[in-house]
Amino acid sequence: MMRLSTLLWALLVGVSGYVMFQVKYEVVQLEDQLTHLNHRIDTGREQIRVLDAEWSFLNQPARLEQLAKRFLDLQPISAEQIGHLSQLPRRSPTPPAAAAAAAPPSAPSQPTAAPRLATARAGVVR
Amino acid sequence: MKPAVPPRDDNPCRPRHFKPEPCAPAPLEGPAKQSLETSHTRLLITGALLCLAFLVISARLIEVAGFKAGEAHIARVAPAERPDLARANIVDRNGVLLATTLEAPSLYADPKLIHNPERVAQQLASLLPDASESEIAAKLASNKGFVWIKRQLTPSQEFEVNRLGVPGLEFRTEGRRVYPKGNLTVHAVGYDDLDGKGLAGIERGFNDILRGRHEPVELSLDVRLQYILHHQIAQTIADFNAIGGMGIIMDVNTGEVLAMVSLPDFDPNAPGSATPQELFNRVTLGTYEMGSTFKIFNTALALETHTSTLSSSYDATKPLHIGRFTIHDDEPKNRWLTVPEIFEYSSNIGSARMAVAVGTDRQKEFLGRLGLLKAPSFELREIGAPMVPSPWGEINTMTIAFGHGISVSPLQMATAVSAVVNGGVLHRATLIKRPAGYAPSGQQVLSLKTSEEMRALLRLVVEHGTGKFADAPGYLVGGKTGTAEKVSAGRYERHGLLSSFVGVFPINEPRYLVMISIDEPHGNKQSHGFATGGWTAAPAVARVVERMAPLMGIQPVDEDSPEIRRSLVVDSQGPQGRKFAAD
Repeated sequence: MMRLSTLLWALLVGVSGYVMFQVKYEVVQLEDQLTHLNHRIDTGREQIRVLDAEWSFLNQPARLEQLAKRFLDLQPISAEQIGHLSQLPRRSPTPPAAAAAAAPPSAPSQPTAAPRLATARAGVVR
Repeated sequence: MKPAVPPRDDNPCRPRHFKPEPCAPAPLEGPAKQSLETSHTRLLITGALLCLAFLVISARLIEVAGFKAGEAHIARVAPAERPDLARANIVDRNGVLLATTLEAPSLYADPKLIHNPERVAQQLASLLPDASESEIAAKLASNKGFVWIKRQLTPSQEFEVNRLGVPGLEFRTEGRRVYPKGNLTVHAVGYDDLDGKGLAGIERGFNDILRGRHEPVELSLDVRLQYILHHQIAQTIADFNAIGGMGIIMDVNTGEVLAMVSLPDFDPNAPGSATPQELFNRVTLGTYEMGSTFKIFNTALALETHTSTLSSSYDATKPLHIGRFTIHDDEPKNRWLTVPEIFEYSSNIGSARMAVAVGTDRQKEFLGRLGLLKAPSFELREIGAPMVPSPWGEINTMTIAFGHGISVSPLQMATAVSAVVNGGVLHRATLIKRPAGYAPSGQQVLSLKTSEEMRALLRLVVEHGTGKFADAPGYLVGGKTGTAEKVSAGRYERHGLLSSFVGVFPINEPRYLVMISIDEPHGNKQSHGFATGGWTAAPAVARVVERMAPLMGIQPVDEDSPEIRRSLVVDSQGPQGRKFAAD
């Protein structure tokens, strides 16, 4: 009886000691990992800041303008290039071929309102 | 199991080999009894203490296991910023980065650990190009425990210094302020010193807010517009061989400053080499006699007080003599002019007569209401207070009518003109972005009717008057030219001009104000030798409008359409029976 309980306690002490150290080492390892990850997060954040700054630096309007001049065949948009949908001629209800056949060639076909265009929201057309 | 206890022994815990001698219990007497009692007491106290200790341990166990389980040591993500580096970014209204803080290593030394200062100084001086050897040697030979050798090194310099392997040289990571857009936004954003303290611009005005804040500060600036304005002003300065220039783009309905340029400027990443002229913010700190652009206020005042109507006319047949002064027109018409004509041809004589009809007190009160007589409240600390005549006599009233004898900053000018055209509501100018859908509270400083009349008059100037070159077809620019002679050594310089144009578009429903002033332009071949606002600043404003209008989503309109015509009619009969519809 005596021996058995002593043995049991000794065993329990041994097991709990083992488990405790096991957990402790695991925690130490996890903490190392955490420190490492936090460090990487810090580094990553700093890299993002550097890249943000570089992005902004490379996107200086003066530089973009020069690059656009060199590589693109584009120019600043002028007011004449911008129009309203309502300024477009109205679409003929019949296809051009049919209209040409129906109307005598001397009389130009009168454009009439095409429902789709008439209800279309005014937008910017280049 | 067979009981191993001898029948005489009543103690079950006694070891089997222990056989006590049978004896009769001795009666305890005297010292023996006393010592037994003492040990009893001691035993009792020890036991109680042990019990207490176990109780405490159990209580703690219950607490940890039962109640504190949720608060266990949980892994935490690193804090967002290192607190010593934290300074908020500055971005424009579209989130484009204007100022940020990057880590930079700074080199310091503990001179007590350095045994051979001369040699170390020589090595360091060869690695750090802008440091002098003697200076470093002096620092290293001092008795202090800490001296800065060089702040904010590049990564390669850091590597080289580390490779020297000199004990006593150490690095500390510091925050270095970086301005990726360089010169472009320098006078608005400002710059920092090495310790992260703002020395100018928003960096200075918002120093405490930026410190220790994580979210970026959003300015009202738009980098695209800033570039357009900067580019056009720089080009105009070059074209007319001027000494400087400034400009501002403002949202007339909120008071937000969308662009603000003062030239010459400097690179905020290297502010040490900037000259005082470059550091000077002409838009907010400089105050100038604005010249004829002030006729906007003079005319609005006369219309508002009903001392003039659009059909009133004034004698501009000959120069006006008052005391030892003579007021004359640049392009004299030598006849009676109506109010729209005075504005259109920018007649000083007519304007002065209009102001006299209004009177000094009402003029003073009106300019005060427009915020032109005291320093404005603004986010920057570089704010110039206007120079106002004192005493304010009739002669001052007359000269102020055409913008001489009073100096205001371009910022004040833009704020006040915005109020004149936007329906008469004065909004405080701001460099901070207003949230979407924000309805700014303003102060009604003049009537809607006067504001509408002023819009028509401003359009008249661009269609037929002195500001023809400001016309950007399709975008309905309205505006006013101004050419002021600069005061130098107490007298007006005939050739030191400040040529300005303040434009508003689309003038039938004003949204943006563009103002450009060129400092001391010289006429060139294209301008036939003219250096006035109409020849220098006005074309620059037109180019700015043409570039910015598509970006801001403003649809070009047909300027000859009846609705537009009707909205900009100036209802007046000129002396020749001409109708001042703006055509």
